[in-house]
Amino acid sequence: MVQFHEHIITDLLDDSNGGLVILSSGLSLSKLISSLILLHSSSQGTLLILSPSSPSIKSKIFFHLKALNPQFHQVPSEITADLPAHHRHSLYSSGLIFFITPRILIVDLLTNKLPTSNIAGLIILNAHSLSETSTEAFIVRIIRSFNRNAYIRAFSDKPHAMVSGFAKVERTMKCLYIRKLHLWPRFQVYASQELEKDPPVVVDIRVPMTKYMVGIQKAIIEVMDACLKEMRKTNKVDVEDLTVENGLFKSFDEIVRRQLDPIWHTLGKKTKQLVSDLKTLRKLLDYLVRYDAVTFLRYLDTLRVSESFRSVWIFAEGSYKIFDYAKKRVYRLERSDGVKLNESDRSVKNKKRKRKGDGKDSEEVDGPSSTSSSTGLVLEEVLEEAPKWKVLREVLEEIEEERQKQDVAREEAVVEDEGDDNGIVLVACKDERSCLQLEECIVNSPKKVMGEEWKKYLLSKLQLRDVVRQKKKPKDPKGFGVLDGVTPISPAQNAEASISKLEHDALLAAASGIRVLAEKDCVVEDPPGLDSGGRRRGKGKGKVGSKNGPVIIDGSGVHNSKKVATRAMHGGTNIDNMVLRKHTSADATISTNVKPLPPVHFYALESDQPILDVLKPSIIIVYHPDMTFVREIEVYKAENPSKRLKVFFLFYEESTEVQKFEASIRRENGAFESLIRQKSMMMIPVDQDGRCLGLNSTVEADLTNSQNSITRKAGGRKEVDKEMQIIVDMREFMSSLPNVLHQKGMRIIPVTLEVGDYILSPLICVERKSIQDLFMSFTSGRLYHQVETMVRYYRIPVLLIEFSQDKSFSFQSASDIGDDVTPNNIISKLSLLALHFPRLRIIWSRSLHATAEIFASLKANQDEPDETKAMRVGVPSEDGIVENDVRAENYNTSAVEFLRRLPGVTDSNYRAIMDGCKSLAELALLPVEKLAELMGGQKAARTLRDFLDAKYPTLL
Amino acid sequence: HASNPSQSSLSSRNAILVSHRQKGNPLLKYIRNVRWTFADVVCDYLLGQSSCALYLSLRYHLLHPDYLYYRIRELQKNFKLRVVLCHVDVEDVMKPLLEVTKTALLHDCTLVCGWSLEECGRYLETIKVYENKPADIIQGQMDTDYLSRLTHALTTVRHVNKTDVVTLGTTFGSLSNIMGASMEDLARCPGIGERKVKRLFDTFHEPFKRVE
Repeated sequence: MVQFHEHIITDLLDDSNGGLVILSSGLSLSKLISSLILLHSSSQGTLLILSPSSPSIKSKIFFHLKALNPQFHQVPSEITADLPAHHRHSLYSSGLIFFITPRILIVDLLTNKLPTSNIAGLIILNAHSLSETSTEAFIVRIIRSFNRNAYIRAFSDKPHAMVSGFAKVERTMKCLYIRKLHLWPRFQVYASQELEKDPPVVVDIRVPMTKYMVGIQKAIIEVMDACLKEMRKTNKVDVEDLTVENGLFKSFDEIVRRQLDPIWHTLGKKTKQLVSDLKTLRKLLDYLVRYDAVTFLRYLDTLRVSESFRSVWIFAEGSYKIFDYAKKRVYRLERSDGVKLNESDRSVKNKKRKRKGDGKDSEEVDGPSSTSSSTGLVLEEVLEEAPKWKVLREVLEEIEEERQKQDVAREEAVVEDEGDDNGIVLVACKDERSCLQLEECIVNSPKKVMGEEWKKYLLSKLQLRDVVRQKKKPKDPKGFGVLDGVTPISPAQNAEASISKLEHDALLAAASGIRVLAEKDCVVEDPPGLDSGGRRRGKGKGKVGSKNGPVIIDGSGVHNSKKVATRAMHGGTNIDNMVLRKHTSADATISTNVKPLPPVHFYALESDQPILDVLKPSIIIVYHPDMTFVREIEVYKAENPSKRLKVFFLFYEESTEVQKFEASIRRENGAFESLIRQKSMMMIPVDQDGRCLGLNSTVEADLTNSQNSITRKAGGRKEVDKEMQIIVDMREFMSSLPNVLHQKGMRIIPVTLEVGDYILSPLICVERKSIQDLFMSFTSGRLYHQVETMVRYYRIPVLLIEFSQDKSFSFQSASDIGDDVTPNNIISKLSLLALHFPRLRIIWSRSLHATAEIFASLKANQDEPDETKAMRVGVPSEDGIVENDVRAENYNTSAVEFLRRLPGVTDSNYRAIMDGCKSLAELALLPVEKLAELMGGQKAARTLRDFLDAKYPTLL
Repeated sequence: HASNPSQSSLSSRNAILVSHRQKGNPLLKYIRNVRWTFADVVCDYLLGQSSCALYLSLRYHLLHPDYLYYRIRELQKNFKLRVVLCHVDVEDVMKPLLEVTKTALLHDCTLVCGWSLEECGRYLETIKVYENKPADIIQGQMDTDYLSRLTHALTTVRHVNKTDVVTLGTTFGSLSNIMGASMEDLARCPGIGERKVKRLFDTFHEPFKRVE
């Protein structure tokens, strides 16, 4: 344990009320939490930890708990919705530690299933994502109202997110009833002293980019700049924030959106397009340094197809260069010097060139060789390798050399600290994809990797031609059924096709050369007959089939590495497993002339594992620089002072990669400076008991005495002497409305509703739609269906259109309305809805708070709703009612939604499908007969099966 | 009114009948896609055989809070669809809109809000034009070509966008191949990061029902 963690904990425990801790990212929040958990004793009561949305921090906490104290028996378990209510009750009273999701906790609190007096405290790990109306605030308010002694400890390691918006920290603290703020920046004295006492040896390597990479980077920045200039012209955003440097960060979108959100609905299409273009360009900058030349080109091609024709950037002046240079990194076209090349002659050459299956004569393949089509254009492969690849190899060779020298030295004079240096080399990259690719670069050769990518690229080009051909021969069974034969081709595509038809032909010629050979080579392995549709592939995560395109091109050589690379990406629970698979022995390198390499582990920063503590590496190569990971290395070194640690940084010289890395540090420091300033001026109200008061100081009074709270409404009329009740669907606890209704003094009864979201009275049933939901559910037809059922069961069915407080209160600007009645306009859809359901009532609400006021006033003269009745409405009778059913927890909702969107699947057969087959992956394998059984008809089954197997029309 | 169309009884069927009360309402300028004519009607705008609309500006409501109620009562039960067309022309909407909402809702009227006279006019036009239109455009019929359907399905998975759909399609060749892909294969697709990989994989492989 690092000492400054002890400091943090001591400071935090000082106030029995709790506190908010904000620390720099990478200073190991998970370790801090583990140490804190270890201090818990069951005599204090039960400790609840709100489950963070990312599972990795949870698994890291488990890991550190085990590491810190193997004897510790109170390993926290998870309270889930499928535990029966009485079981949950006993767990809540057990005095142990539990993870629990906010949704289950709030429901149990509201239904009195949780004995609040037994709660010692609550730990919240994502303080930066809270607001007054979030469920977490709701939970804290209820816990505090019943148990004033419980502590609330909130944490965040995203300081920049804590300074977005006005006085965010202060508001967060108030809504959690917390008085103490603890700031722990990296530059805090204790932290910096400890981390800098004995820093690791750092080697900073600046790798120059290739000429084309520099060109592309410059072009992207130019286009970005052009987009920003356009944006400034709109006069809708604050110019100061619009810099290219800001544009490098994800948070740039937030900056822009925060400014534009209030007027988003009034913006023209062009401004909206600019916002999304900037996002695309930022991604391109990132991919330029992360992906190899071929993959980058492939991504660009994909973008060109999928981007809307409205996008500004694709037609910007500089964009031409991006595409051009990206192409030049991969291949060159040259006009053959007058002599028309004989095609058959060429293709023979081709075959020779590609016949290499055993990987023995790979040299031959990679030389600049050319192929041609009858058009007289010569395609010359360039296949530029990423400059970092070579450097990585050199670094590894150097490490190995060093090590061998040391080994010799050690044999001569037995050196002291032998056990400490385990010689593990860790290479950290941003993503999984880079890991796999680098691994192949090391095991095989960069040339081979590029060759593979190139082949995949060419084959994908070839598929287009096949699709075109298929269209001409309508008897081909594939590509029909739901695929009605129309392949949408965007205008950009058309333009491209006409410009470079010759080029295209050359590419196709090269591709078919490859395919002919590949088919010959692989007949045994992969009969082409299975290509489309029939193949069942890769059920388990470990199995690695052919990846891109239907043909396995080259089965040799790659297998070794593939096996080693068997994945274990399961939410990071399986740490040991993951480490195992990362272990690539350099012995696998078959290449003859290369120097030996040390064993290397590849790690994807994205996967967010406690990799340093698991592996204890002595050499770390940071392939993609990342601030958080650098801090993790520092902490790791501070915890293992005796360990010799060497860190290599690989930066592209003068790249946005460097710029971004440096800016991220500046940005975090800036955030902390602002937080320190805010802390000095903060005003947190305190009540007589020395407790912090929330924003709405009347809330606690409301809770105990809630009937009084409504009297100020409804024209001062005396209300019935009874608490108002609203029945709320479980799924609605994702939104903030239940919280706000509760703040208004209403009793919230959470149940699972089949029809409607809120039941205000036996007559009034409300379906709530945020603006975004409204547009989406009109498109999907869901709203129509929901209104239809509401109208069937309730006397006053209501559609609540809820605008967001900080966005504009309108659908569109007058200028967007247009001259004609058009079916896609929201006005047309709403009018149609009103015409078809004249009994439907519509509420237009300015904000959550307005909604709460409206609900209260509508309920004024109505009876209270009956929860058992409400639950039965619309439920198919044979289903019955499951007690404590929290539907969203019990269903894989995105899978269900996905299923319902497949052709042939209808409202009447989807339940049967889910009963008859476990998952979507299983569904994808069912033969049509079985499907017909489940779906109750041949036609539907055939439609679905055809859709599943339809060959994707390649547009590239 | 130069724009006032002919008043022949033949055309009045396809026209919006406007109450004389509405004379001088600038809203009339924005009814351009449908003919309209003044007539003796109890509502402000007669939009069809059984649908009608009352027009209310929020500013007016603030001055005459009881107006809406009396107008609604006048309508009696002669219409199936009774629209209260509310022109939101004040800044502070909370209180007046609450009152209008309550009145409309408890007296069987459908409240429709417009933020400009153009928008209000367009609602009147649309309700008239769509008088006999089937509901198919809001019943979820969408483009039926393969790519649209595939995009429609795959974008249920959070953060998966159109570009990703194309990437997945070209990489795996068919939807069943995408659904059967391993995590590693998914991770190899450019632009598809760890989180998307996990979401996609979970959508396909986690059982539909978590508990039996």
